[in-house]
Amino acid sequence: MERNINLFVSLVFGMLYALTSQSQVGKVEVTTNAAGHFELHRNGVPYYIKGAGAKDHFDLLAKSGANSIRIWSTNNGSFLDSAHQHDLTVALGLYVRPERSGMDYNDEYAVKGQIEQLKNEILKYKDHPALLVWGIGNEVDLRYSNFKVWETIETLAKFIKEVDPNHPTMTVIAGVDPSKVYHIKKHCPSIDILGLNVYGSIENAGANLRKFNWDKPYIISEWGVNGPFEAKTTSWKAKIEPPNGVKADQRKRRYKELIEKDKERCLGSYCFLWGQKQESTATWHGMFLSNGKPTEAVDVMQYCWMGEWPASRAPSITDIHLDAKNWQKEHRVAPSTNVTLSLDYEKNNNKNLEFSYLLFPEAFSSKIGGDRQETPEKISLEIIEKSKSGIIFKTPKIKGAYRIFAYIKNFHGQCSVANIPFLVE
Amino acid sequence: MKLTAQIALGALVYFTMSCGSMQDVRLYGPSKSTSAFEKFPYKILFTSSEEDGLWGLKNNACKEISFETTNSYIGKDHLHIKWNESSCKYIGIGLKWGNYKGKNLWPILATAAIELRVRIDSGALSNVPMFFILEDYGGNQCRTKINYLDLEGGKIDTEWRRIRIPFQAFNYEKRGVNMGNIKELRLEFQRKGDLHIDNIVIVPHTHNYAHTEDTFTKIFDTHPIQIGEGKEYWWGINPKYSSNIQFGSSFKNESVIVDLDASKKKAWDTFGFSPYQWLRVDLSSIYTTSAITFKVKAAELPKIQAMLFAYSGKKRKLQKSLNENHFIERESGVFEAYLPLKSLVGYEDFRWDVLKEIRFKIMSDEPFEMGDFRLIEFRGNPKKPTKWRGI
Repeated sequence: MERNINLFVSLVFGMLYALTSQSQVGKVEVTTNAAGHFELHRNGVPYYIKGAGAKDHFDLLAKSGANSIRIWSTNNGSFLDSAHQHDLTVALGLYVRPERSGMDYNDEYAVKGQIEQLKNEILKYKDHPALLVWGIGNEVDLRYSNFKVWETIETLAKFIKEVDPNHPTMTVIAGVDPSKVYHIKKHCPSIDILGLNVYGSIENAGANLRKFNWDKPYIISEWGVNGPFEAKTTSWKAKIEPPNGVKADQRKRRYKELIEKDKERCLGSYCFLWGQKQESTATWHGMFLSNGKPTEAVDVMQYCWMGEWPASRAPSITDIHLDAKNWQKEHRVAPSTNVTLSLDYEKNNNKNLEFSYLLFPEAFSSKIGGDRQETPEKISLEIIEKSKSGIIFKTPKIKGAYRIFAYIKNFHGQCSVANIPFLVE
Repeated sequence: MKLTAQIALGALVYFTMSCGSMQDVRLYGPSKSTSAFEKFPYKILFTSSEEDGLWGLKNNACKEISFETTNSYIGKDHLHIKWNESSCKYIGIGLKWGNYKGKNLWPILATAAIELRVRIDSGALSNVPMFFILEDYGGNQCRTKINYLDLEGGKIDTEWRRIRIPFQAFNYEKRGVNMGNIKELRLEFQRKGDLHIDNIVIVPHTHNYAHTEDTFTKIFDTHPIQIGEGKEYWWGINPKYSSNIQFGSSFKNESVIVDLDASKKKAWDTFGFSPYQWLRVDLSSIYTTSAITFKVKAAELPKIQAMLFAYSGKKRKLQKSLNENHFIERESGVFEAYLPLKSLVGYEDFRWDVLKEIRFKIMSDEPFEMGDFRLIEFRGNPKKPTKWRGI
């Protein structure tokens, strides 16, 4: 008798759990509104993606007005749980190995193994309440030669359609071109949304999609400032990075004038990167510094998402000079000589600002597509004189390529950063 | 019962049972063949530290290697490696495998695999950043990684899970590795991890997966060739958003009517198409003797810039602005354009085996139609295309 009661109670609780977890699964679908514009609906309500590529700082992200994060793989399921706790949804990446990592799409063994592994991941996460959309592959088209990769994308998208009717499918490409659009349209009919990682090419992305006859919606899956791969380089191949202030203006304009304005096709966006990573420099794409402090890019994103600036704003470095020549020029200096680094900046109502400077050897890297890069070790910087607008420092004794970084921080730890590469010869 | 009686009874039972299980023996039957796998002498790579079968065991900032005696799969101990590549370029260990004797894997290549057991201390993983490398005596290396299909249970967890690495999975052909003279096996580790490894052996294994051929290249090696056939391979034409460029019908094959709205000219002044279904088009055997030709129906010659794109290579774009030297008026208001490929600046550096796209930018406001694109033989002076008598 007692055993029967236990069984009955277990059954009731099991059913209740099943019902509860079912109700937590958000139903997300692509639909069109009365104006014929594409919209994403979550639980029947229009859902415009205000998102960021993020694995951290979720609290500040939510406070800044974002509603979603994008992650690139299923390696760490705790990101979904953490996002859910912050009421953020997730564009969940399924890591499809790009050809440039050594994957051979003519190798049936490798292809089938990858598909089966990812199917397992799909089953694992399909009912997670934070899941918004599947991101099947990231930049598999970057320097690829084997179009068979699209068959893998379709196999996975089709599988998702079979097992998960609640979440749309997206594949993410590195910039848009007519051949990619053609291949995705032809080989991947189960893909609902095109994800575009666009930096400099965001300027024409929406128009180009229409020209290339992409007739479904899109998400700007990565965007930000022009990437290192689009930057001017010095004659010694060092990338020239704009100061934070210049980058902040670029971000704001791109969001307001390009992303937000395409109401017809664009379902939203994920800015890159709500965090920090080394990509040519330690500060190129990251909106945070390696010590976790936010830069002015965070303020800009709040302005974009909420329409208002935060009460406390970071200072903003708008220009940086080495011996009176600004960041856009080449800087060649002699060893062990005194040179002047000066900054133009806006205080943004901050009374007291803290300045700091760091020197690094140049980090040359041949990696592409956001592939992992090594961070160089900082080297000793001999500061001769400090002022409110910069420093005089002694150049290194050893000839070579270097990069000097200037940081301004306010009382709350909000920062702005700029750097200049220079050659000691 | 006495002991002798017991022995006698036992012997009787034994012989009676043995007679029942006797089998026929043929005097001249086929000799028992030994399979290639059975003949292969180097089947054990690692079962315990006693074998002295490893190198690269010295600990450093990036790897910590130990032989643990508890919870081994086989033998008195097993290998435990923790790694973090943050400050190292390479983390690996090597297996001397038969004390570095040259191993001929050809006879067992299709029928055998490396097998090992792995586990972690807690949790579960579907993969670890670990690579398997075979090195031949010429120093050539081929590699592969753990495949989900041959990972027992589809995960690595606290149980000893079996992993198989089929020899066929190594990219030996691509890397030019001599599988007839293999020196050693290396295990390479990337990023960060913590893994217990035991019982690395060679086992029989059937690998039922093929290596398929590339079918995404179209070779053009004769003339003439109609190019851009099929409207689905064109772009820049989308009446929903612009009427600047629309498909026309004046010519036998695909054509476009161009009538730029001067006020919106910048946005929709370009169109393009794939020479063949957005495949890689290989013109490498004919590009030096080829020209693109097309027809134009216009009151006056339009200003057109032609561009060619390749899928890969250092120089991916060639371009040329057409002028009156590229056109012949065949009848009133109908022109033929000729663009020899050798006339494009930088054509020597262009990957003609991976041609992607032909694109046109229109710089005239007057309406016209252009189409019927072909690749024809051209052996004249590239600088004076219309002077060649062959056209």
